[in-house]
Amino acid sequence: MNENSPIGVFFYDIPGVGTDQVDYTALCSFVSRFSEVKKVWRYSNLPWNESIIRNCLVENGFERIIIAGSIPGTIKSLFTKVMALSGKDPGSVELVSFSKYGIHSVKESERAEALMHCAIKDIPFEIAAMPGEAQVNPATLIIGAGIAGIQASLEIANSNALVYLLEKSGTIGGKMATFDKTFPTLDCAACILTPKMVEVNQHSNIRLLTCSEVKSVSGGPGNYSVTITQHARRVNVRTCIGCGTCAEKCPAQAPSEFDSATTMRKAIYMPFPQAVPNKYMVDASTCLYLKNGKCKACVKACPVPGCINLDEQDTEINIIVGNIIVATGYKPFDAKRMPQYGYGKYPNVLTSLEFERLLNASGPTGGNIHLRSMDKKGNPIFNTEAEKPERVAIIHCVGSRDKNFNKYCSRVCCMYSLKFAHLVLDKLPDAEVYEYFIDMRAFGKGYEEFYERIREEGIVMIRGKTAMVEEIDGKLQLRGEDILENRLHERTVDMVILSTGLEPSDDTRILADILGIHLSEGGWLEEANYTTDPTGTFKGGIYLAGTCQGPRDIPDSVAQGSAAAARVIQNIIRGSVTNGLTEITTAQIEKNLQELFPVH
Amino acid sequence: MGLQGAIESSVEPWLCYYCGDCSKTCPRDANPGELMMSMRRYLTSKYDWTGLSKKFYTSEIWELAWIIVFATLVIFSFMFVLPAFGYHFTRELTPEGGVKVNAFAPIAIIEAFDWIMAAVVASLLISNILRMYYKIVWKNSATTVSVWVHVREFWRLLYNFAVQPKFSKCDDKRYWISHWFLMSGYTIMFIVIVVFLPWFQTEEILPVWDPQRWLGYYATFGLLFGLGVAILGRLKKTDIKFRFSHISDWLFLVMLTLTVITGILIHIFRISGMPLATYISYIAHMAVLVPMILIEVPFSKWSHLAYRPFAVYFTQLLKNANSKNPG
Repeated sequence: MNENSPIGVFFYDIPGVGTDQVDYTALCSFVSRFSEVKKVWRYSNLPWNESIIRNCLVENGFERIIIAGSIPGTIKSLFTKVMALSGKDPGSVELVSFSKYGIHSVKESERAEALMHCAIKDIPFEIAAMPGEAQVNPATLIIGAGIAGIQASLEIANSNALVYLLEKSGTIGGKMATFDKTFPTLDCAACILTPKMVEVNQHSNIRLLTCSEVKSVSGGPGNYSVTITQHARRVNVRTCIGCGTCAEKCPAQAPSEFDSATTMRKAIYMPFPQAVPNKYMVDASTCLYLKNGKCKACVKACPVPGCINLDEQDTEINIIVGNIIVATGYKPFDAKRMPQYGYGKYPNVLTSLEFERLLNASGPTGGNIHLRSMDKKGNPIFNTEAEKPERVAIIHCVGSRDKNFNKYCSRVCCMYSLKFAHLVLDKLPDAEVYEYFIDMRAFGKGYEEFYERIREEGIVMIRGKTAMVEEIDGKLQLRGEDILENRLHERTVDMVILSTGLEPSDDTRILADILGIHLSEGGWLEEANYTTDPTGTFKGGIYLAGTCQGPRDIPDSVAQGSAAAARVIQNIIRGSVTNGLTEITTAQIEKNLQELFPVH
Repeated sequence: MGLQGAIESSVEPWLCYYCGDCSKTCPRDANPGELMMSMRRYLTSKYDWTGLSKKFYTSEIWELAWIIVFATLVIFSFMFVLPAFGYHFTRELTPEGGVKVNAFAPIAIIEAFDWIMAAVVASLLISNILRMYYKIVWKNSATTVSVWVHVREFWRLLYNFAVQPKFSKCDDKRYWISHWFLMSGYTIMFIVIVVFLPWFQTEEILPVWDPQRWLGYYATFGLLFGLGVAILGRLKKTDIKFRFSHISDWLFLVMLTLTVITGILIHIFRISGMPLATYISYIAHMAVLVPMILIEVPFSKWSHLAYRPFAVYFTQLLKNANSKNPG
């Protein structure tokens, strides 16, 4: 390597790309300090074009060009061409991708400088930035007890390591517990999930922390000190026998979270009969005693003395863990944000989670599909006396693949919509089912076959985004365009199901800030490398699993839960954890460089 | 793609009033509403056989140059040609204290000029409408449309011109209302000026309740209200229908606004007895009005006043022609 080979550095600081908040001015002055660097350009400092670059190249006799930026690859071909035309080696155009190393803002400017340093010295960053190791505490915290968190905690607990499984709500199980069937096998979701939930509950290595949230995290990889807020459950989990006498006597009601508000539950309630822990809990915002100071009907009814304590307060606990797995999942897109589909206005426009509960045997109608009506207060209610729909339409991509809401594909909606179509025909063989889709994304093992099978069942597939749903004489009229037949269509149906997409859970941003990890576009948690390190983050000892990283289906979430667990188990067995890129300082890189290449 | 003929024979662009809902809900920012607007500009240039429309739409310099030429001709006529025939500017006032407008702008000459201009514009517009008819109805009718059907359906043309029922079906009724005020104000003014100029351009100051005055005031209000909504909307750009303004949209709005303002000034100066100011605003009024009518009506944005109602009428004719042999 010729030490004094002249280098040109080009910052591709194209504005508005991704979350590009890097301080390029500071980086420019940083790289100018190197004697090898003869010229520094910035994309935003016009003018620049092929001939300017070429002249500059001839003047300075560059041997290498470094292009740095969020997405430097897009401009590379221009430089390669200029180099080749000037008789230089077109292969000596190098890229420094900031987004690849999680550099999005001034917060990571030190890492950006380190990257530039390595590029100028022509040393692979991975070698120079070999992060140090830290001793690991064998305990692990898993945030979120949906299917991904459950899978990860079982994998780790079965390796004889301690797991704290933290869950915000009163029961583990997450969204999967509310599903009726899973695609493409049409297994009963509860039948697969509940054994795992019970296993979690009975596992000697798992400490279950329900009604809990992470308040703050300090310490570093291998030794995180986590403060957890435990919200008052107001029912003693140890002594509650789950008899339900309290709920029978409770006078206050609220919509059931588990049933997507299609049924009502009491203020003291068990989220669902198979909940883990299988204990009651009090909803403080509904409880009459907590609102007005009078009632206590549950306390009087409870057969176990002292089990219900309505005056219980939130508590804080502190735990030390070596690794953290984040599995906080998703929330469904709020269909009310698309008023053209009339959700919330017309009772028979349903969201997919509501329809899951309608299909379920433990749902509002015992698993029979009935039309919904409005009660006297204007709340939509199901009742088993109501008529059954003859025509059902399913609208895909509600809130997904839409620049007005979320640009991304939510990945699961096509498949669960096909599942819905099948289940409608299963329960109502004479019904007509219409699927309104944009593109059919049946990408997994057995998915395309599932799609073919559903099509053969006689479902009408219409390609084209539905423009609007209107209620006319108690029926729902859909309008849209059928792009395959190249015509506008109007169709009258009894029920419309909106295939709502996935969005990051509330508080994902807050949690990311607490943990010191990043968000990627769309608000999902950012992985260290989508292709080669999908479970890791830039912070050592913190891993991702499930839909908190991006929309995915159950098999993928389970696989990622296991994969994240493998990373944790690896650290535990080895007894140390590799620091993430966030823990590396420029000084450390300089030191590494000195050790690796003493000539510098 | 070889679909030029298909575009030229379609009426749909004229049936769209650009409520913007399609662009608002489009998941891909494809902006179909603006596409329809561009389509209307394209069709306007295609109906026009002179080729001038295309020139005006594609070259701002060309359009501005012609506006200046016409404006200069108008100013020249008032300054030099009319005085040569004995029509002079005078400081003398009427017994009521009003300005003697007819002394420098003789009704007979102005009226004759109005009629000539109306005839030129109408013949251009009518020939364009005939081309539109040929492209839309003639070429696409399975059977010949009888004269009787033409007569029977003619009411649709007038009804759609006067009420714009299609526009009223958009979810947002505000734009239909403001557009209707603009249209009605303009139509009243146009009829009054071309057909009833001797009744309208008087030296005598009539009482406020006289139809001459309140018709004028209504038309002015209608124009200003419609223009205000359009101009503010295009400046604020909060609504998608106003986000993309072509130079022809702005020229039309600016010229019409200037016409209205100078019109108001003539009125104020005339009744308050300010001869020179009246004279200058009269010339300015004509210098904006004449190029606006000559360029915008047959060749540019304003031609939609004819194409829109005719499109509804033609749709009905086509329906009649093609319903007789289904398939």
